[in-house]
Amino acid sequence: MPVIRTEQLTKIFRVVRKEPGLRGSLKALVRPRFENIAAVNQVSFEIDAGEIVGYIGVNGAGKSTTIKMLTGILVPTSGSVQVLGRDPHRQRVANAREIGAVFGQRTQLWWDLPFIESLALVGRIYEVPPARYRQLLKDFEDTLGLSELLHIPIRNMSLGQKMRAELAATLIHEPRVVYLDEPTIGLDLLAKERIRDFIREQNRGRGTTVLLTTHDLGDIEQLCPRVIIIDAGRLIYDGPIATIKERFGRHREITFETSEATTAIELPRDCTRLAAEPHRLTLRFDRTRTTASQIAAAVMEQIEVLDFSLAEPDLASIVRQIYQGGLREVEGNPRS
Amino acid sequence: MRRYLSLYGVFFVQRLKILMEYRVNFLIGATSTSFLQIGGVLAMWVVMRQIPSLNGWSFDEVLLVFGLVTISESITHMFADNLWTLGWQYIRSGEFDRFLVRPIDPLFHLLADRFCHDGIGNLLVGTALVVKAMSALHIPFTVATALYLVIAVLTGGAIFIALNLLTASSAFWLVDSIPVTFLVYNTYEFAKYPLTIYGRGIRIALTWLIPYGFASFYPASYLLGRNVGALAWMGPLVAVLFMSLAYRAWKFGLAHYTSTGS
Repeated sequence: MPVIRTEQLTKIFRVVRKEPGLRGSLKALVRPRFENIAAVNQVSFEIDAGEIVGYIGVNGAGKSTTIKMLTGILVPTSGSVQVLGRDPHRQRVANAREIGAVFGQRTQLWWDLPFIESLALVGRIYEVPPARYRQLLKDFEDTLGLSELLHIPIRNMSLGQKMRAELAATLIHEPRVVYLDEPTIGLDLLAKERIRDFIREQNRGRGTTVLLTTHDLGDIEQLCPRVIIIDAGRLIYDGPIATIKERFGRHREITFETSEATTAIELPRDCTRLAAEPHRLTLRFDRTRTTASQIAAAVMEQIEVLDFSLAEPDLASIVRQIYQGGLREVEGNPRS
Repeated sequence: MRRYLSLYGVFFVQRLKILMEYRVNFLIGATSTSFLQIGGVLAMWVVMRQIPSLNGWSFDEVLLVFGLVTISESITHMFADNLWTLGWQYIRSGEFDRFLVRPIDPLFHLLADRFCHDGIGNLLVGTALVVKAMSALHIPFTVATALYLVIAVLTGGAIFIALNLLTASSAFWLVDSIPVTFLVYNTYEFAKYPLTIYGRGIRIALTWLIPYGFASFYPASYLLGRNVGALAWMGPLVAVLFMSLAYRAWKFGLAHYTSTGS
């Protein structure tokens, strides 16, 4: 039985359309012109108990709006959403007891209170029995290293410490479903690792279902066997991450800085030229057909290279590629 | 209900811990409002030295009116101050969402989130004024009077909170509701004096429209043996009426928020 189910989930916002400048603002004030914008447009998916699903898309794609509907903060314009068999908005309180949510860089803790006091207050709000509360604190200790944080007020914490505190506070009532909005944003590698370990541990140990939004491909590669991609409010892909990586993550870009003009250069096999600047050469290649070192060798034979760099495709470019490829990807997937 | 009471206790204790972290801040906040009120009383005293009676009301009698409304104001100041900042502190920053993912009533959460110590000064000054006025006027302090005073002050506090809730609910549309709240709230300055000194329009407005009169003038009149008829007893009814109206406005605003997200 699915834990989360959305059917044709849609949220339309009515916004005032403004022309630029003071005149435009005044005009909008006197005679506002409204425009309907579908932030989430007929999105359907199901998530089973114990899954970790990456929910991705560029900024403004509709990720936060979807999560707000799943948590009961927003009411859908049309379509339906069910979490653990409930309507999250109509049965907001019952739903709230069983979910946890981390919203990006906002804190749900009290800025000036030492962390232990904030956590105790959260425990009381969710009515966590004292013995259970102590047990969970112990359980979280290993991965999150809470003991060094307990007496620090949130305002004095580093970003990484804050996120550890935030996660502990979100999971202290053992929610069955957790929504994590950018849990690793701005963190260094070590801190990211810690957060990912904790999410994995909660998922495996307690069977917590996790819906994760992120811009970090590393998060997705390490945590999410399945991803859902939305763009401009529409679901454009729902399926295994492996398929995406195979199909869209094969391309790399390599850039050379040269002392001489690069215009006359003969391109190595299996790559295409992207940028056309005199002292810079950017090539795109499929890493299943050739390698960076082969290309570098071929280029260096012909020209003096001062520097070079290799870029992996980022999420935004993958999403763009999928979008340009049309909805074929989604149709090819039995899940949706 | 019991759950919310004990939960309020927990919020309150945690809030005190924060306040104790900033002790100087606490002391300044808790006393600054009292200086403000004392200033107001002094100004009135200077005026009343020249005119021994204000439309038939002596200085001590006006003090009773002044004191009662000051205590009522202190209740909203202490327990409902977060209504002021609902817009820019919670809605604009998106922090309000935090209340909606928790299994408790969002209005309760908003109010319990911050006990405001600035109101303590007003409570002390108001109480001192009422005690001073009552002893100067030889009003016997019986069980019945004490009970009447408690009801009057709670009624006044409820009216203050209701009006602030009503105006604060506009934050769901305007985001910054402070000007609207300020406009209504500030009319309580009129209720520091006997309503009989004003014209009919203001008197009616302060009785039925923005009913601060029930927080000061009507109960004071009753205690002074001045006949105001049924109005001496109607306060609680008016408070309940305005409270339910304000709560509806809040619910309406909340529904707007959950459909627009702004």
